[in-house]
This record gives sequence, C-alpha cells and structure tokens, in this order.
Amino acid sequence: MDILTLKDVAYSYEESSKKVFENLSYTFESGKIYAVVGRSGAGKTTLLSLLSGLETPTEGAVCFKDQDIRKIDRYKYRSRYVGIIFQSFNLLPHLTAMENVILSMDVSGIKYSDKKKKAMELLKKVGLEEGEAKRRVLKLSGGQQQRVAIARALSYDPEVILADEPTGNLDKETEDEIMKIFHQLVREEDKCIIIVTHSEEVSAQADEIKRL
Amino acid sequence: MYLIKNAWKNVIRSKGRNILIFLIVFAITLAATISLAIRQAAETAKTDGLEDTEITAQITFDRQSMMKSMGEAGADRSDMKEKMAQVEGLSLSQLQKYAKSDAVSNFYYSMVCSFDGTDIEEISTDTTSDSNVLMNGKNGMSGGNGQGTFSVIGYSSEDAMTDFISGTCKITEGSMFENDASKQQCIISDELASYNSLKAGDTIELEDPNDSSQTIKLTITGIYSNSASTSEENGAMNQRNPGSDPANQIYTSYAALNGLVKDSDSILKQTNGTYVFDDYDAYETFTKDVEEMGLDENYTVTSQDVERYEQSLIPLENLSTFAGYFLVVVFVIGAIVLMVIHIFNIRERKYEIGVLTAIGMKKSKVCIQFVLELFFVTLFAMVIGLGAGSAASVPVSNQLLESQVESQQEQAESVESNFGRGGKGSGEGQEPGTAAPGRSMPQQAAQYLSDISASVNMTVILQLFGIGIILTILSSLTAVIFVVRYEPLKILTNRS
Repeated sequence: MDILTLKDVAYSYEESSKKVFENLSYTFESGKIYAVVGRSGAGKTTLLSLLSGLETPTEGAVCFKDQDIRKIDRYKYRSRYVGIIFQSFNLLPHLTAMENVILSMDVSGIKYSDKKKKAMELLKKVGLEEGEAKRRVLKLSGGQQQRVAIARALSYDPEVILADEPTGNLDKETEDEIMKIFHQLVREEDKCIIIVTHSEEVSAQADEIKRL
Repeated sequence: MYLIKNAWKNVIRSKGRNILIFLIVFAITLAATISLAIRQAAETAKTDGLEDTEITAQITFDRQSMMKSMGEAGADRSDMKEKMAQVEGLSLSQLQKYAKSDAVSNFYYSMVCSFDGTDIEEISTDTTSDSNVLMNGKNGMSGGNGQGTFSVIGYSSEDAMTDFISGTCKITEGSMFENDASKQQCIISDELASYNSLKAGDTIELEDPNDSSQTIKLTITGIYSNSASTSEENGAMNQRNPGSDPANQIYTSYAALNGLVKDSDSILKQTNGTYVFDDYDAYETFTKDVEEMGLDENYTVTSQDVERYEQSLIPLENLSTFAGYFLVVVFVIGAIVLMVIHIFNIRERKYEIGVLTAIGMKKSKVCIQFVLELFFVTLFAMVIGLGAGSAASVPVSNQLLESQVESQQEQAESVESNFGRGGKGSGEGQEPGTAAPGRSMPQQAAQYLSDISASVNMTVILQLFGIGIILTILSSLTAVIFVVRYEPLKILTNRS
C-alpha cells in the first residue's frame, strides 16, 4: 500500500535561489526498505525533511496516505505516524536512554499501561542492556546512542521510519545489527523504512533505491 | 501531566540557575510583602480607625467658601469686608435644629461672654497695653465691639466640659457649680483665685466692657487647676487679649449665664454647639443631613477629632506612599532581572527546544513546560518569602514608621525654632492636636500614629500572588517569544 507519495515536489532554500530538486514524484509502500542515494548536496537530507514535515516543499505536495501533510497537524504526524532517526542522533543529553524513549512516548500522547516496561523492551530489542538503558546518553558510545535513537523512533509504533545515515558513524558489525533490526521491522511489522545513505552495503540491502 | 513531571525534573536538574531565580523571587516577595502589609495597614487605619470611635463636630463659618463664592460673583474687597463684619454665629435654636438629625447621639452647647472685672483683676503679663482690643471685627460674636479681660463660659451640661472630662482641668477646692438658672454660681482658676485672694464661697462682680453699668455677680463654688495654662509659652496674642488666657476663664452653667445676659445687646456673646456621633459613618451622614436641613453654604461641619486623627496618620501615609514606590521599583527591577535570566536560559536550551519540536512536541507545550519550570521555582520562593515577610512585616514597618514619626517631629521642631520658640513639640499638658494659645495648628506637633499592626492578611496574600503571577507571566513571555520563533530543523542543522 502506498503510504507516502511525493507529487511533483520541488524545493529551494530561498525563494530566488536555485532549486535543490524539482518535479520529484516518488511513491513509498509499507513493508519495504527504501534507500535514498546521491552525491553530496543532491538533497537527500532535504528530501527526508520534506517527508518528515520539518520542511514544506516549494512546489508540489507530500502526501501521507493520500493526504497532503500541509493539511494535517505536522506535530501529530511527527509524533505518531513517522519516526525520525537523525544523523547526529539528536537525543537529549541530560536524560538517560530510557528517559529519551519515554519522552517520545509522552509526546505521542498514546496511553501506555507501563511506559518503563515498554521502553525497556524497545531498548533490548535494539541491543541495549538494562544498565545501559539507565545511563545518561552522554555516557553512551556512538553506536549505543544510535540504538537509543532507533528505539525512540519506534517508541510509538509509527508506520514510517525515516533514517538519515543511521549507520554512518558505526562500525560494520553494528551496521549489520542495525540493518537486521530494520529488516525485522519491515518483515514482522510491515513498516515502511526510508534510509538516506552513502553506504553501498546498506543500499544493497534495500528493496528499492531512489537516486537523487 | 508529563509536562508537569518533566518541568519538575528540569527544575531539580538545573540547581544553580534555579537557586538564583529563587533568591531573586524571594527578595522581591519579601520586599513586596512588607510593602503591601504597610499599605494595607495604612488603608485600614484610614478607613477603620474612626469606625467605632465617638466623634465630635461643630458647625463653623467657612470664610474661605464665602470669599470664593463672593469672588466668583464679582464682589470686591470692601463688599467682602462688610459681609465678614456681619457674620454672626448660629443661634442656639439653629444649632438645636441640626441636633435633631438621627445621626447625632448627643448634643451639648456653651456660651462665651466677655466681661471686665469690677472687683477682681485679670491675670496679664502685659502691663502696658489696653486689654480692650478689637480683634478681626466681631469674630462671630454678637454684641458690642470691646472685648473684656475675662471670658465667662456657660456650659449646657457636664458633657460639654471636655477639659474636665479629659483631666486637663480638675476641681482642687470646693465643688462644681449647679446647673440652675436661679443659682448664679461659678468656678475660677487657681491662678485667678490666688492672684485675687479668692476662695470658694466668695462672690465676684463682672461688668460689660461696653457698658460699665451692666454688671453680673457670680458666687464661687469651686477652684480648678488647669494644666494647659502655661505662662511662658502663651504667645503675644494672650498678652494683648487676657480673655483668651485660660487662667482668666470663669466657668458657669449655660442656664445661669443666659439668664444674666439674654437681655443685653452690648455684651459680647458666642454660642458654640458640639454634636456627638457614635462613629465616623454617623458623622458623614450628619454632614449630608445638615445640607438637606438647610444649612447655609457658608457654614460647614468640622471635626477636630477627625482632623486630629487624619493629622496623626501623616507619617503612616508618607510611609505607605514610599512603600508603594518601593514596591514598584522592586517589581520592575526584579522582573527585568528575571527576564534576562530567562532569556539566557532559553538560549542555552535552544537545542532541547529543537529536539522536542522535531520529535513532535507542539511549540505551545514546549512553552508550557518552560513556564511551569519558572512557576515551580517562583511559587516555592514566594511561599518562603511570604513566610519571612509575615514575620518581618510588623517589626520592620513599626521601625520605619518610628523613623517617619521622628522625621515629622524634627520637621515640626525645626519650624518652631525658626519662629524663635523653644523647639518643643507640643506644650506640656497641651491637648494633642489642638493649638496652644497664640500658636497655630500646623506648627503644633500632633500625636502621630506610631504603632501599627502591619500584619499579613488574606488581602495581602492575594495581592502578592497576583504580583507573582504577573512576574511569572512577564518572565515567561521571553520563553514564549523565543520558542515560537525557533525552527527545529535550523536549530538541529546548526548544531550539526
């Protein structure tokens, strides 16, 4: 099922400046991993920003389940339907790993019977132990922080996951583990995962590649 | 709910900054509590001070009002002079008419007549002047132009003899006169008795200063002492008018005096009525009632009790005004400091704002969280500040009031010394707030209210929390403005 579509989307940073891209029309389906590739400056991260609602296209429309996301509450869209994994994690450093995940649950507004338990399950799912879960994010390694970022993005069970270079700062082994988690999510939970990546190994594991 | 939880956790996390905010809000609250308590006490003293107090008032000629209305009608100085010369006091029947007002709880009256002594001599420190001096026309007294050296005062009842009620005068020999028209009895001062070798039982003869053939005789039933009659501080006025000297005042009953002088047109007489009210509201009602009852616009109701009380409030009102200004200054400076701290706080937490909005928290909720953080600290500081302010308000306010009273008294003494007087405040034994003979009221130091109960009540608490809420809102506005302006992607991109 088409969950996200781009219809003739164009974007430029300022009104009179050169367009980053134009006439972009893509379709993203549930149950697939997409890799967005292109040279530096092609607009990969910008595309992810448009898909997440952090930016609005200069022309065209981004639609979530056939609804233009400009017409829906973008905060609710980002907190319920789309999970974002940032390149530089963007976790809150003064909180623990578990608190970062619970915060995301709180923001989504979904009621959970036991948030701590759910958060712990998610963190274990992404390969973190209990001791690490209770540690402040500042005290975790890059790979561990990336896992926390993934757990946070999954905390409210979004239908789409947008990941900007999720394995960019990780070693090969960790990269494989992360991709394994993504495959599991796609296979078992029918999620749509869109990954911006420079890595050929990662893009090779995707179901479809979009080139910018 | 999670906003409250997160706000609280953030407060605990950032101890240093929040301790600073706590101290600032605590200082503002402490100052505000004391200032508000003072203002509340001043307001209470002003509105409730005379509430259950018996008040006396008189109807007097309002010269200022008359001159103003004549001036507006185009009258010149000679017209005004003629009019003023014609002014007579209200008659007893007129005074009694106004006493019928429901607001009046008691009414008493007296008559003052001016005589010269036939077989007694007045006490006077001026041996050269003619004591029959014309003073400002008749000054409301009816009769001839010459004033005598003795003032004979006839009282309607003992209620009217306020000097005896207050203890200024006391019978030291014999007894009080009887309130009987057929018995022409009187009491004289101990100074006069001593000077003329008089005692209880003796008879004195007085004559009309305008017609020596008209005489009256009074039998002395008692001698009184007057603690207000000081010789040194009697001014020049007493030297020229011995009749104003308390030592030369002879007291009798109104009935007796009226019986003796009612048929005389030449004897100077003045009738004074005093209205008594149970409280200030009754007094206020009376001022309206007399207008409805037809009191001439050139007459007015005045109360020395009210004037004296209002005078006593001057230092407190000064202190209240100062407290008001101080409160405004503290509030403004405090608000500015808090806003600046908050601006720095928000800028420091820009990244946090970016992450929260990026993961889907609405900007309004981010603002609420920041406001809640400030509110928790402010509330806690205010509660502690209120407690400290409550404990300090009474001693601090009384200390400040004492300084104000001292300052006011020093000012009065300074004015006195400019006139070459001893620099004393009130004369010894002088009834507070009244002018000593020859001395006008403003130069006389009043008994100022020097002790107040500036305690914290519900009104003060509500005002304080109102101030606290305004302070929190003003400081939080900075948070709101910044948060609304920030775009999450720009923040996160810049950080990257």
